[in-house]
Amino acid sequence: MSAALDIKDIRAGYGAVNVLWDVSLSVEAGTTTAILGPNGAGKSTLLRAIMGLVTVSQGDIVVDSCARTGTSTWNMVNEGVVMVPEGRMVFRDMTVEDNLLMGAFPKRTRPRAQANLKTVYQRFPRLSERRRQLAGSLSGGEAQMLALGRGLMEEPRIFLVDEPSLGLAPVIVDEIFAGLRQLKEEGRTIVLVEQNTYKALSVADYVYLMQAGKIVMSQVAADVDVDHLHDLYFARKTGSEH
Amino acid sequence: MFELTLQALYSGLLTGTYYALVALGLALVFGTMKIINLAHGELVLLAAYVAYTAESQWSLNPLAAIPFAMVVVSVVAIAVYLLIDRIKKDRELNSLILTFGIGIILTNFVLLVWSADIRSTTTPWFQQAVVFGDLLFSSRSEILFFLISVALVGATWWWLSQTWYGRATRAVSSDRKAAMLMGVNPRQTEILSFVVASILATVAGIAIFTGQVIEPSLGHALTVKAFIITVLAGMGSIPGVLLGAILIGVVEALTVTYFSSSLQELTGMVLFLVVLLLRPQGLFGFGVRRG
Repeated sequence: MSAALDIKDIRAGYGAVNVLWDVSLSVEAGTTTAILGPNGAGKSTLLRAIMGLVTVSQGDIVVDSCARTGTSTWNMVNEGVVMVPEGRMVFRDMTVEDNLLMGAFPKRTRPRAQANLKTVYQRFPRLSERRRQLAGSLSGGEAQMLALGRGLMEEPRIFLVDEPSLGLAPVIVDEIFAGLRQLKEEGRTIVLVEQNTYKALSVADYVYLMQAGKIVMSQVAADVDVDHLHDLYFARKTGSEH
Repeated sequence: MFELTLQALYSGLLTGTYYALVALGLALVFGTMKIINLAHGELVLLAAYVAYTAESQWSLNPLAAIPFAMVVVSVVAIAVYLLIDRIKKDRELNSLILTFGIGIILTNFVLLVWSADIRSTTTPWFQQAVVFGDLLFSSRSEILFFLISVALVGATWWWLSQTWYGRATRAVSSDRKAAMLMGVNPRQTEILSFVVASILATVAGIAIFTGQVIEPSLGHALTVKAFIITVLAGMGSIPGVLLGAILIGVVEALTVTYFSSSLQELTGMVLFLVVLLLRPQGLFGFGVRRG
């Protein structure tokens, strides 16, 4: 069985501080995998490690059966592994359209940049209305749409989305997740990091729970017992160990 | 008096545009690398002296020396980049010391090779007067390089806004990590910003060589001026750099006209301090940044 993304026993962290402890995870092509867990569990670090933004000291990252451990961030992007970072990270002093066009920077996507731009504007009409505005002037929800749109311009084969609901009003969160569900229905491979358990479960096929830099549970989303998940999540004693 | 004022505004405009070329290069490098290249003015100086050698030794027209000077200056700039790149700790601060040192070395290299004598072009064509309406006096060199400078600033703006690598350069300036997530190798844009800065610096150097006089201490003065203009404009605003440069040029020219040429450098500094007091983000800069 070959997975689109295979992570084998990786350790990674920031300088002397190790965050991930032998994390393994496997993502099937065309599925949505949610990584849940409380603050500081290492979810974002895991995505950053995949993207080469954090140094992996041990273990393997395999994309489509090719070893990609230690690959630079830009080369991961060229391989079609795309991340929408936590906190949006839009280019604040550039226009919405220039932000989206930056998404088309990888050479393989450039010929289709204009077509992809049109698709993104159809998906998020509000970005089209604001195309000449500076990205720094957008609301949180619009900025998240821009970050997702910019990621889609990169033509992701594996789409890593980090905390898209962070700091957004519930009605905007619904809108963002409707967008993610649409992407899932189009058959894309998505890895979603979230703190909003219910929202994440509503789109996920497969769920991993992380705590203190380790995977403590992995399950098919349909089989997840939310109470049990929350017991583990908050490390309540009632939850079974492992 | 009115005529003198008009002449001062006109001269200031002509001087300001080549200041803009110098300042723009400094701003580009600051954008991508977040370092201030204190040897930037010395790159301009080097270009001017390369043109001097080309003219005096090989009787080459200073304009024809531009491509050659560009190559020399770019090579030196890339060497500066590679040295900066070796700094692993506190790059922002340590690069100041490094580039300041490189500036001193370059100035003394110029002193050693070309001596401290004042030089200028010996091609009379550049120095001939162009007079508009018996009122505005300038030289051919000033008019020519005014046009070239405006075109180059426009070309740089076009490059930054319309091309893949220009946009990537702005993206790296805006958010380095996010740019990496777009598939940009930031080192490429860093080298690119140094090369573009060299091209702009070279043209500015030839403008000074043909329009004014050059001497080894000029480099340091230009670095300071470019730094003032960049901060005045607000880091990262291209129209701001052009307007800030013209503003400095005009204020200097007015000072020379109404007061004394010895106060010329002072007024730029005073203007700089006033702007910093009243608008710390610069005249055309964005408001306070998030985070």
